[in-house]
This record gives sequence, structure tokens and C-alpha cells, in this order.
Amino acid sequence: MTRWWIRPLVRLLAAALLPLVVPAVITGFIWSLPGDPASLICPPNLCGGTEALAERWNLDGGPWQFFTGWVGHAMGLEFGNSWRLHQGIPVLDLLLEAIPTTATLIALATGMVMAGAVAAARGWLPSRADPVLRFVGLIPALLLALAGAAFIELTYGFDSFSGDGRMARMMVGAMVLGLADGAFTGAVLGTRSTFSTENQARYVGIAVLRGERRIHNTLPNVSPALIGQMRARIIHLLSGAVVVEVVLRIDGIGDLLWGGTLRQDFGVVLAAATLFAAVSSLLLVAQAVLETVVALHVRRAPSNVRLAESP
Amino acid sequence: MNRKPALVVALVCAALLLAAAQLAPEFLSEIRPDRALRGPMDAFPFGTDTRGRPLLEYATQGAQVVALPAISAGILVGLFGVMGGLLRCAGSVRVNALIQWFAEIVGALPRMVVILVVALLLPRDQRSLFPLAWTWALLAAPGAMDEAASVAERLGGSRFVEALRAHGYSAGRIFLVHVVGYNLRPVVVRQGAETLMHVVFLEIALSYLALAENQPSFTHSDNLMSWADLLKLGYPSLIPSLGYDSGHALGLAVLLVGLVATMSIAIGRAARAR
Repeated sequence: MTRWWIRPLVRLLAAALLPLVVPAVITGFIWSLPGDPASLICPPNLCGGTEALAERWNLDGGPWQFFTGWVGHAMGLEFGNSWRLHQGIPVLDLLLEAIPTTATLIALATGMVMAGAVAAARGWLPSRADPVLRFVGLIPALLLALAGAAFIELTYGFDSFSGDGRMARMMVGAMVLGLADGAFTGAVLGTRSTFSTENQARYVGIAVLRGERRIHNTLPNVSPALIGQMRARIIHLLSGAVVVEVVLRIDGIGDLLWGGTLRQDFGVVLAAATLFAAVSSLLLVAQAVLETVVALHVRRAPSNVRLAESP
Repeated sequence: MNRKPALVVALVCAALLLAAAQLAPEFLSEIRPDRALRGPMDAFPFGTDTRGRPLLEYATQGAQVVALPAISAGILVGLFGVMGGLLRCAGSVRVNALIQWFAEIVGALPRMVVILVVALLLPRDQRSLFPLAWTWALLAAPGAMDEAASVAERLGGSRFVEALRAHGYSAGRIFLVHVVGYNLRPVVVRQGAETLMHVVFLEIALSYLALAENQPSFTHSDNLMSWADLLKLGYPSLIPSLGYDSGHALGLAVLLVGLVATMSIAIGRAARAR
């Protein structure tokens, strides 16, 4: 493909737009639903005078004012206060408290998924194990998380929220997240199938005849596909973190997002959802950069090759 | 699994799901404390809950909650997949670039986050699984379109269409029979079946999380029970020290989840090329 730069460029453009998409969609939804936005967010029978609320939440000047106002404040890390979940507490404080927990959870689960991908690439996981992996991959996150929660209760009982119990929750959560909904299975089978398809290419056979290792030849060519798969899996893990955090009572962003949704706390949900979108955006940028590096590498003309001299 | 047995399994599972949804009562039976937490042997076929009501009613009401939204989401994803494959066969660079841009934006959003945002915006009196299922389908669409487009690409894309045109085939026959019917079918049907399964799992997860916080579910009205209620009822049986004899409810929930997973796999296998 001569225009190799189109894909990374599209990814970068998408990454630039993504953090704006979430607040834009939410704003659009609020104003597209029938009724006054303030009374929609907090029904008058619950909140009383909606005019005052509309003014406090910047809903009184129309969708554009709300959107630009919220984005402008968000640029300066000012997300306002929680509307209902933890009324009056700054959303930024809630996020800062939850981010390290979710980051650790996702990092551990990503490590597990990456280990599966590496094991598949190196042939350490035999294909005999595929039926087991496929079965495990079918189990939904909720079922595995419930089994994990029961294990924690049985092992730690009343101490499950302190010290070792908290660490165990995190480890079990990461394991559940890594295994459920086909995350680990997909990484193993996806990587193996990518490599086995590439290994059938003619250049690989020639490289083997030259005494070179397969993986050194195939890796640059399969890297874009593997990077894309890994990004999709990390987004999948971010998505699954909501269920795992709530069931295993891990106080992360997913738990915060769920609490905000249940209690219709738009302030918390807007900020948490935008944070998820921003993380996803960073992953897109990382994928675009890695794809560019790989594309430049495979197109680099080797400098130490001499043409065979004619006799 | 060969095609015919897979087709039979898929049809049986689908028939069970739809029949259960059709037979679901509007309200649960009256409370009978003397029959509380009976096992399947004492209260055929699935036992009773803590108030003596049959779990069969939970199963049928849960099927009613998920059946149509999940099927409609599956069909929607299948249609998106068909569109992706056909557009690749049309061979327009501009359209394909637009699709990639759409796929990048939509595919980059964590699905559960979008689902929660949609759930948040649903008015309380209009809560149903349909909007969430269709949102899930929209989020799954880029993957289905991408996979179908890859199949069309391997087929030869616009060159395949040109070759069939040269044989004198009509556009309808080329696109509907040869491209969609013979080549895209396995992919789009499998993607649709997987989405169907994921929507069912999504409903169970959302309802369970709401139950865990004693809040009403986003996916159904309060008079209906979801399969998540079975999980909630059965979960304490995993902790023997609680002495809560509700393992039959957990078993039924796992059985129902297994039924949906089996149906999804069987549909995918039945649609595979010969």
C-alpha cells in the first residue's frame, strides 16, 4: 500500500475528536429529549425549582453554552461538583482518588492479556488448549466476578476490605477482567492466527532456508495488526472494568461511573466518560505512532546490501 | 459441529427462548412462604424463590426482557456487516475512508461507558432494553463491517463484481446471492449471533449491578424479573457459612446463560460455508 500514512492520520484525527465526542453526544441527547433539560436531569418532584438548578448547572443558556462551558472548564481540569452521588464534593477529587485504582487494575489485566499474546507468538501455549480457552472466553465478566467475589468473601471474610483483602480484590479483579468475555482467549487465538497466516508467506520460507528465525521476519509485518488487536483489547478491558469494580467493590472509575449513572449524576458521568474517552484517545495516538514507526522501518532501504557481481 | 446438527441446536435454543418469552406471566404468582427455597425436586421444574414463587416465572420473564431486543440487535449488526462488505465490493476509496473514520471513532469508545451514558439519559418511565441493545449493535457495527469488508477484499472486491458482470449476471444476483449469500453470510451471521449473546449478557450485568445497589433496572419495568434476579438469589449459596440454600437459582441462571451461549455458537456454525 503506497498511501500507508492514511490509516495513522485517520487515527490521529479520530483521537483529536474523541474527547469532544462524549460531551457533545451527552449535550445533544439532553437537548433532544422532550422537556426542559433541568427537569429531565432532576425531576421537579425531586429537586423543586428547576430554574435555579438550570442556572447552577449552566443549562439555562442552551446546548452550545453548556457544551463550550463544560469543555472549557474541563481543559483546565475543572469538572465542577458532584450533583448527586457525593453532593458538593469536587468531581476532580473523586476522579483523582479513583484513577490509581483503575489504572492498576487495567495494567494488571493488560499484563495478563499481553502475556497470553507473547506465549501464543512464541508457541508456548499448545493449540490443544484452545477448546478450554474458547470455553473460558465465553464466560461473561459478571459470572466470573461473582465467583471471584465469593472467593474473596470465603478467604478473607470481614477483613476483605483491609490490607491483604484489598490487594486480593485487585488481583482477582484483574484476573477476572483478563479472562472474561474472551479477553485472554482472543489475545492468544488472535495472535496465533495472525502469525500462522504470516508464516505461510513465501518470504518466511526463504528466510528460514537462509537460517534466519521466523519471528524476526514476520514481526515487523504483523505488528500493525497486533498493535490494533491490543488496543481493542485494552478498550475492552476498560469497558469490563465497570462490572468488575462494582461486583468486587473496587473503588475505581468504573464504580464511580456506575454510581453516577444510577443516581443520575450528570457531573460525575460526564467527567468519568470523558476520561475514558481521553484514555481511548491516547491509545489511538499510541497506535498511530507505532504504526508509523513500523511502516518507516519496513520501508527503510538496507544500507549494507551489495548486489551480486555479474561474472 | 457440522452444519445440520448446529442448525438443529440453534433452532431448538431459539424456540426455547422465544417460547419462554411468549409464556411469561405479566406478574409473579402470589407469595407462599411455606414453599420458600424449594429445590427442583420439590417444586418442579426449577424450584422456588425465598417467597415460594416458582423460578420458572423468573426464567420466562427474563426471556421476555431479552429476547426481542437481543434478536433485533443481532439483525442490526448483521445488516451493518452486509453494508460493510458491499461497500468494499463497490470499491470507492472515499467511502471506505469515511467508513474507517466512523469505525475509528465508534470503535474507540469503551462500550459499557456509552451504554451507561445512554442509560443515564433514558427517561425513567421509558426504560427498556431496546435502546441499549441498539446502541450496543451500533458499537459492534464497526467490527462487523471491518470483518465483512476483509472477506470482500479477499474475494477480490470490485474485481470479483466485474468478473461476474462479465458472465452476464444481474446486479441483484451478484450482490445478494454471490457476495452476501455465499461469501458474507458466515461472517455477518456469526457477528449477529455474537451480538445477540452479548446483549443478553449486558442485560444480566446491568440488572445485577442495579440490584446490588437496590435500584431499579435500566432494562425493564419493576414488575418483571430478569435472569440477574436468579443470580442475585443464588449468589449467597456460594458462601456456605451463610447457610442460604439457593444453589438451584444459581444453577438455573448459569443454565440460561449457557443456553444463550450455545445458541449463539450454533447459529454461527450453522451459517458457516460448506
